[in-house]
Amino acid sequence: MSAVTSFLTRRRGQGRRWHWTDVVTWAWLAAGVVLMFGPALWLVASSFKGPAQLAEFPPTLLPYVQQTAQVEGHDEPLPLYTVTREDGTEVVLAEIRRIGTNSQMVDPANPEERINVNIADREPVREVGFATENYVAPLVANNFLRFLWNSVFVTAVATAITLLTNSMAAFALSKYDFRGRNAVMLLIVATLMVPLSVILVPLYAVVNATGLLDSLWGVILPTVATPTGVFLLRQYMLTIPDELLEAARMDHASEWQIYWRIVLPLTAPALAVLAIFSVVWRWNDFLWPLIVLSRRELYTLQVGLNTYAGELNVQWHYILAMTVVTMIPVVLIFVFLQRFITAGIAGAGIK
Amino acid sequence: MTSLGHWAGVLVTAPLVLLARAVDPLLRAWQRWTGIGGMAAFFLLPNLLIFGVFVLIPIVLNLAYSMTGGTEILLAQRPYVGGEQYARLLECQDYSRPLTCREDQFWTAARNTGLFVLFQVSLMVAVSLVTALILNREIKGRGFFRAVFFFPVLLSPVVVGLIWRWILQREGLLNLLVVNLGLEPQVWLNDRVTAFAAAVGVSTWAHMGFYTLILLAGLQAIPRDLYEAAEMDGTPPARVFRRITLPLLGPNLAVVLVLALIRGVQIFDEAYVLTGGGPGTSTLFLTQYIYEVGFASLLRNPGLAAAASMLMAGVLVVLTLVQLRLSRSSAGGQR
Amino acid sequence: MSQIALKGVTKSFGGVSVIHGVDLDIETGELVVFVGPSGCGKSTLLRLISGLDQPSAGAIEIDGRDVTRVSAADRGLAMVFQSYALYPHMTVRQNLSFGLENTRMAKAEVTGRVAEAARMLNIEPLLDRRPTQLSGGQRQRVAIGRAIVRNPTAFLLDEPLSNLDAELRVSMRAELAALHARLGTTMIYVTHDQIEAMTLASRIVVLRAGRVEQVARPLDLFNRPANLFVAGFIGAPSMNLFPTRAEGGTAALPGGRRVPMAGVPEGSEVTIGLRPQHLRLAQGNEPGFDLRIALIEALGTETVVHGELAGTSGDTPRRVFAILPGQPGVALGDILRLGFDEAYLHRFGPDGQRLVGPGRP
Repeated sequence: MSAVTSFLTRRRGQGRRWHWTDVVTWAWLAAGVVLMFGPALWLVASSFKGPAQLAEFPPTLLPYVQQTAQVEGHDEPLPLYTVTREDGTEVVLAEIRRIGTNSQMVDPANPEERINVNIADREPVREVGFATENYVAPLVANNFLRFLWNSVFVTAVATAITLLTNSMAAFALSKYDFRGRNAVMLLIVATLMVPLSVILVPLYAVVNATGLLDSLWGVILPTVATPTGVFLLRQYMLTIPDELLEAARMDHASEWQIYWRIVLPLTAPALAVLAIFSVVWRWNDFLWPLIVLSRRELYTLQVGLNTYAGELNVQWHYILAMTVVTMIPVVLIFVFLQRFITAGIAGAGIK
Repeated sequence: MTSLGHWAGVLVTAPLVLLARAVDPLLRAWQRWTGIGGMAAFFLLPNLLIFGVFVLIPIVLNLAYSMTGGTEILLAQRPYVGGEQYARLLECQDYSRPLTCREDQFWTAARNTGLFVLFQVSLMVAVSLVTALILNREIKGRGFFRAVFFFPVLLSPVVVGLIWRWILQREGLLNLLVVNLGLEPQVWLNDRVTAFAAAVGVSTWAHMGFYTLILLAGLQAIPRDLYEAAEMDGTPPARVFRRITLPLLGPNLAVVLVLALIRGVQIFDEAYVLTGGGPGTSTLFLTQYIYEVGFASLLRNPGLAAAASMLMAGVLVVLTLVQLRLSRSSAGGQR
Repeated sequence: MSQIALKGVTKSFGGVSVIHGVDLDIETGELVVFVGPSGCGKSTLLRLISGLDQPSAGAIEIDGRDVTRVSAADRGLAMVFQSYALYPHMTVRQNLSFGLENTRMAKAEVTGRVAEAARMLNIEPLLDRRPTQLSGGQRQRVAIGRAIVRNPTAFLLDEPLSNLDAELRVSMRAELAALHARLGTTMIYVTHDQIEAMTLASRIVVLRAGRVEQVARPLDLFNRPANLFVAGFIGAPSMNLFPTRAEGGTAALPGGRRVPMAGVPEGSEVTIGLRPQHLRLAQGNEPGFDLRIALIEALGTETVVHGELAGTSGDTPRRVFAILPGQPGVALGDILRLGFDEAYLHRFGPDGQRLVGPGRP
């Protein structure tokens, strides 16, 4: 019992011997690494597998590509199989076509002779390889390039507007003393409690009334006046000494210049945090774009992905590849900017 | 590379700087005319405008929508029905059995959401607390491990849903493990119980990193000398945990608990992508119900959806008030 | 005509009055120091002059023009803030030129002025650094430089030396005095440090609780404090004050010595002040008062004696300071008899105001 509680209370000191709580710690951490990264890695590995391989059970860890050979008399390269003959020897043949449980095959060295083989007797010849057409095809043929562009547009524009309007409002709320300031602040904080899911219907009506339905602006505008952003930036701006602003006023700076040239540069760390959060939020938004957008060419990646994954005949090889594409920006942010985000969460408790 | 980044930065900011410089004379004139108070209004206006139109007005309108009927979207074309939508939602012979209710889907969703919150929040708090305690130890590479647990937080719910759908499918990774253990493979998302468990597990997986960070921040804010003083006093470790760690972590624990509750009640995205509410209605949650009644179903009923969201908002307001009370009392109790 | 004039300036924050009708005239080229205990309103008064705050009532004139409603930027003043308020994200050069660029001054002139100010203040090697890379003294110079380049009608300095260590403060004080002599520009200087006030000022304005107690040249302030507050505030250690009663044209000091006390009604409560520097060891049978030594601070050139009046009790001041020249052989617990010249006495009437009468010039 005391070992358990010492594990719960104390940090491991230096030079103490290997205690069983240390084993628990490292086991937990190792499991964490596998559980947290594993699924994403599995997704990436799977995304390079061809449709046939995806349907196999048990699944292989690595993606394989079936070898093909150019055979005389055939325009397309033919897939290669290892065929076990009746006498037990093995030979590599190319498949021309499959008829029922029979496969019509040919020896690449001897293209004249056709051989019939039961499909149970053949194994595909494969080596590790990447089915990159999983990526190319949906981007080119299905609208995914369009979806990608829509997502980039929504994310970039919404983040830019968020930074501008939120920082202006935060500046007014932190550096001016006017009647109703506390009321405005209270209003903003109060709406922190009102999630999107509670106002779906009237928000839809408002977006409809403003003519923004089925447009990317209808996705962008309702998201940019985030109370979180105003709150975060205001808290930061409160730490900028008022004397700086007064010095600028004595220096003939207009209020706009004070905002633009003094306060904004000094708020850069908080702006960076908000920008990162905003990018992640907007990139990941799902429910609201799902409601606003009905024309397929306006879908964002998230909506497009869900739509494709919801079809009767799920084309997993495309879905997985596009899921990876959707994940890439967030993974980049994770790799390079994770520190800012964790600092933002630990400091301000925002998400 | 840095100079490239520098020039890219210049390229992006140069138009902004020029724009800012161009508007300055206009704004100076405005400032001269209205004084500094007018400038405060100017800075506040864009945000308040967007905020008012897309947050405040919808909040006010929600009540109005919940008291109208029909399928029209324009409020003016919707007939007033008073409390009929609420009555419809609340009409029930036996609340413990959703199927006896007129809006059985609503009650199913409510029951599912309640169960979901119960399991998910308990699991979430337990797992995040243990992880935070472990990360608070003096381990090598703490920053790395903190990042590891945080990674899924950044993933979009759609990606989370699809990743796990892929793992849980018939030919998926989980079945590979199950078969290797000598058990029967399952179609996890086709079974009411395992699908529900998957929703709980996956959403915990996706969000635990966030709560772990909050708890870890709380743990690290506890001054080390308190522990050293307790050690000098020969305080038994169990007592240290109960009398020092837990009370000082209290505010953070309360925040984690209530935030997890508030978010849990709103569960939608990842569960929707993972299971689509199925099999049957076993993972149908309130937000999905609102979404489907309001927008997706053929017989859409915005009034009913609004009424349902008002009821959900009621729960959320209560939870938020509890949070405020908790954070206030814990802050008061600390000093 | 005075250059800066305050006429009945009043300021209240949310109903609480902090400046009560201040009238003040400041001549061109003067270095006026506002001094007073914290919370006396000296910084507020400076901010009212700067235009950063607006007075609730009264008027402020600069060069004969009413600027009460003119914005801070348009008053032609420059301010040095207590925290220096240097823009942390700009280099020293940008800090200096920011204000000039805002007035759309030609580039060449901006460069010239910045260079001149930098040379004057010896900060040329620092021009491309950021404020965070500077020492306290260097920041102070940059802050002053930022004011100088503006070529202002007057400088406003809000406790500019209070963030420096003692040694630097002394040298910066001397530099400021030299700068004022060189520029000849009007300066208004706020401080709570009376040594700064005494050494720098052409005139000192003593403030208390939002009111002007006295305006005078430094030595006049020391020699002829206008009231009990100024008497106690200026000079360190502060003046010994003995409350007593006027009887028959005289008043008694502790120890029984009676001194002339004219111009007040018979029997009124008066106060007699005597600076510690003006007490000396009594010679022979000279009348004076007896002091039991409670603390000795031997500084070498002089010795500060904290003593209690022997045989007193009740509301008479028990604690008396005396500064004795050199190193007299005194010890703790000794009883000293201290004498004084009547010429050094300060007399204050029942209202606490100085009584005209005998005394130093």
